[in-house]
Amino acid sequence: MLSLIYNELLVITGRWRSYIGFIGISILMPLILWGFMYGSESLQNDYARGLEGSFMIVGSIINAFLATYIIMNALWIHIPFLITLAAGDAVAADGSNGIFRLTLIRPVSRLKILLSKLLASYIYSAGLVIFCAFWSLGIGSLILGTGDLIVIDNGILILNESQAWIRMLLSFSLAIVVMCMVSTLCFMFSSMVNNGIGPIIGAMFLIIVGYIIIAIPLDFFTKIEPYVFVSYFNVWLDAFKDPIPWSLIGKKLSVLITYSLIFFGISAFVFLNKDIKS
Amino acid sequence: MILEANNLTKSFGLRKAVNNLSLQIPDGSVYGFLGPNGSGKSTTIRMMTALISPDIGDVFINGNSIQKMGNKALSDVGALIERADFHKHLSAKTNLEILARMDGTEISSIQKVLDRTGLGDRGNDKVKTYSQGMKQRLGIAQALMGNPKLLILDEPTNGLDPEGMKEIRDLVGELSSEGITIFISSHLLDEVQKISSHIAMISLGELITAGKIEDLLRESDMLMTEVHVDQTDKSVKLLSKYEWIHRCDVEEGILRVSISANKTSELVQILVQNDILVSAVIPKTSLEDLYLSKVGIKGKI
Repeated sequence: MLSLIYNELLVITGRWRSYIGFIGISILMPLILWGFMYGSESLQNDYARGLEGSFMIVGSIINAFLATYIIMNALWIHIPFLITLAAGDAVAADGSNGIFRLTLIRPVSRLKILLSKLLASYIYSAGLVIFCAFWSLGIGSLILGTGDLIVIDNGILILNESQAWIRMLLSFSLAIVVMCMVSTLCFMFSSMVNNGIGPIIGAMFLIIVGYIIIAIPLDFFTKIEPYVFVSYFNVWLDAFKDPIPWSLIGKKLSVLITYSLIFFGISAFVFLNKDIKS
Repeated sequence: MILEANNLTKSFGLRKAVNNLSLQIPDGSVYGFLGPNGSGKSTTIRMMTALISPDIGDVFINGNSIQKMGNKALSDVGALIERADFHKHLSAKTNLEILARMDGTEISSIQKVLDRTGLGDRGNDKVKTYSQGMKQRLGIAQALMGNPKLLILDEPTNGLDPEGMKEIRDLVGELSSEGITIFISSHLLDEVQKISSHIAMISLGELITAGKIEDLLRESDMLMTEVHVDQTDKSVKLLSKYEWIHRCDVEEGILRVSISANKTSELVQILVQNDILVSAVIPKTSLEDLYLSKVGIKGKI
């Protein structure tokens, strides 16, 4: 299985499309960090106003942790698109390029081949999230420094530096699970068609519909919200609550994993019964 | 038998692509698979290689059922199905390494198959820089990995120039002499006749005939006969009147007539009675004649 995953990683890393996400992040992150470094006065003032009366602020509250928290809030809607760029090609590209005529005649089960493709997509997704973390936390801490993390969300939570590192680690780990779920959704579409664009459009369409459902406060939408997987995408934010709501995180993760299993089950059913005609 | 296909049937929608087709491929044979475009050759080959599952029937390779064992039944099989397509953005070697890891083949064997197919010094080049002929050779190289006992080649000479076609033909000959069974589909009858020991003909998804080439040619009731005469035009005009003469034309000054074997003397008699000098009568049945008599489509198939 490991050699099959290695094969898939070779294919993913050989495709230029796989680098779009990394290139995008490499352009965007320095820009955002530069913005935090030289243009964060209004942000500092907004935070100070929220805290005045209760706290006396010494020095700057802008640091790599706060920057990362704000960046994650802004990007968690967009990163799924970058994830789908690789997952969309995972199965479909092999179909359209005729690669299945070489690989599916090998004495390896189709299920193993499919699973290796999914796991390679997961590694790619995790890699992209970790790359994001490297920029915002790693390079960010060199540029902006570290310190306490102040989170204003239904109250004020101040986390000291060591706690902030732990919460960030937890938050990025949860984000990886979310992105793997997005990857599985796109993967499911990829196993149904023979071109890489359709799965990206299909997955993004469902995600956008999900965002719309959770954003518009209509009774009907509120009723169906628990069944919309997108409403569990914010699980990474739970890492910044005090105390950490482990049971809520567990529930959200189990829903995301269940959806992933369903999507993979559908992919497997389609792929195992697929006639390779092209 | 290294491969047995039993009662294969496959439909796509309302169209029956293959209907109740059975084949037995003997060990060590070079088995040609002939049929016009759309006759069901590729569908049959895809069923033999687990790419398409039949609606009815099964394929056994060395006694192992593909329906039951899936791809695992293909451990002794190397195949090139239609065009050779690879990851274009990767080198030939990397592509073969990917496949070797799936087969469990040693990576060190890759250079051997590249050398054997004439790509030894181009292995590190990306596949996107390859010509169609080179890709086809690389396709054969991947099929040879893992020392298969049965090699299934679907139109292996597609896209090759005459020199490339000869190279493939020679390679098939070499592989056959090493004891590898080869199942080859081609639309070039002459090509198949040169390299095959057995053939099967398929039309509209159904098997027309199958067996050893020499037996089939011997049993054929349709003889293509070359007749050397002094007046070809007059001969053609004369013989065209007879219904039992299925084909009559002139090629390079020689009269070519398609007749049943027992009609040769009658043919000569007619010509002589009409003051045409007959200097030689040479029965010359080819695979093309056999094909035309069975399937009935002229030229390339």
